Amino acid sequence: MSAVLAVLVKDLRLAWRDRAGWLTAAAFAAISVLVYSFAFDLATTDVRPLLPGVLWTTFLFAGVFASGAGFQREAEEGTFDALLLSPVSPTVVFLGKLLSNLIALVVIEFALLIAATILFDEPLLTPELVAIVMLGTAGYVSLTTLLGTLGSGPRTRAVLLPVMALPLLVPMLIAAVRATGDTLGLFGGEAPWVMLLGVFALWSTLTAVILFPLAVER
Amino acid sequence: MSAAQRLYRLRWVVLPPLTGIGILAMLVGAVVAAPRELVEGDVQRLMYIHIPSAFAMYLAVAVLFAASIMVLWKRDMRWDAAARGAAGVGVLFSGFALATGSLWGKPTWGVYWQWDARLTSTLVLFLILIAYLLARTVSDPDDEQSARYSAVYAIVGSLDVPLIMMSVRWWRTLHPQPIVARLDPQLPGSMGLVLLISTIAILLLTVWLIALRTDTERLGQRLLGLRAAVDRREEA
Repeated sequence: MSAVLAVLVKDLRLAWRDRAGWLTAAAFAAISVLVYSFAFDLATTDVRPLLPGVLWTTFLFAGVFASGAGFQREAEEGTFDALLLSPVSPTVVFLGKLLSNLIALVVIEFALLIAATILFDEPLLTPELVAIVMLGTAGYVSLTTLLGTLGSGPRTRAVLLPVMALPLLVPMLIAAVRATGDTLGLFGGEAPWVMLLGVFALWSTLTAVILFPLAVER
Repeated sequence: MSAAQRLYRLRWVVLPPLTGIGILAMLVGAVVAAPRELVEGDVQRLMYIHIPSAFAMYLAVAVLFAASIMVLWKRDMRWDAAARGAAGVGVLFSGFALATGSLWGKPTWGVYWQWDARLTSTLVLFLILIAYLLARTVSDPDDEQSARYSAVYAIVGSLDVPLIMMSVRWWRTLHPQPIVARLDPQLPGSMGLVLLISTIAILLLTVWLIALRTDTERLGQRLLGLRAAVDRREEA
């Protein structure tokens, strides 16, 4: 547990020192929401039905972008190899990275929710919506962290990560958009989307935790 | 030598003639023998290639999944060759299922594409297979680390398939409900027989193509190994 904490603190400290990567992800997310609100405001008078889609595509792009960028420096400097050589299990390293990515993304997402509340004039910081956002983020961050640490080189990682991650995240995206829409009272539906979101989060975390040590074994 | 290995040795003797006979029977059955569908007309004959292609896609994904587990477990690059072979064939048949489905959808549903459950899940699977191939081909065929990474991706992707299907099924569905795998089949007997022959023929073709691709990938790996050995000797 203390080892997980050590990796977490190290990653957060690195993220803080190397703010450029995360700030780019946050700025990218903020600009996406702005661009969406301009573009959709021209197309339709009622933007509300589009809001869940806008939020979740932005979250996903920011998440994929950030988990690749956060890992870039570490791979270049050889820190990652050194971490794997240290006398802790790779699972511990993975959990630390997962938590640091989760914390950084949740910060970005809350900033976005506040921005969207102002821009779209819709109260988004409700307990239900916050729970859905946390559950969905837990679902995708483990997969993007796993895939972000894979890949053969920095250049291929930057290009391939979205291509690899986004198809895997389709179920999570559908469930998250529908669940968000349900809490905003946008679409009526019977399907248990929150449950699917929970199943996806559990599945992706378990799969990533089991497969990460096998993938990085040298 | 185990029975499986002995059988694998015979692949070039057994598979080509069996596949050839199967494909011929499929063509005769689908074009000539099967009755003309009353409502849809001749376009319905696409079924004899469309449904088997979908089965072939799932067979290829199953081989990819199993071979990827073996890559992680046995650390043998021969399994990586099999995984790459299966992924390529999977892309081929999922593309084929999507294309024939579109051609069939236009006259019957009135559109080439619908965000229907099975169409969407096939498309997502197609994208996952392409992503796997891209991830694997950016590095050398004999790069073990890359083989392990790609194997992890293939396993995650295969395990994702049930979740994808569940999510898109709850989302919406337009596709005909299953007509074959039921206790009281709704498909007329003669059509069912032709469909069965076509499925067997296409699955044989799938196995043959996967074996062919696997051997090609294997030769590529050995070629790289030989080149490296030659380089070492020249340096010495």
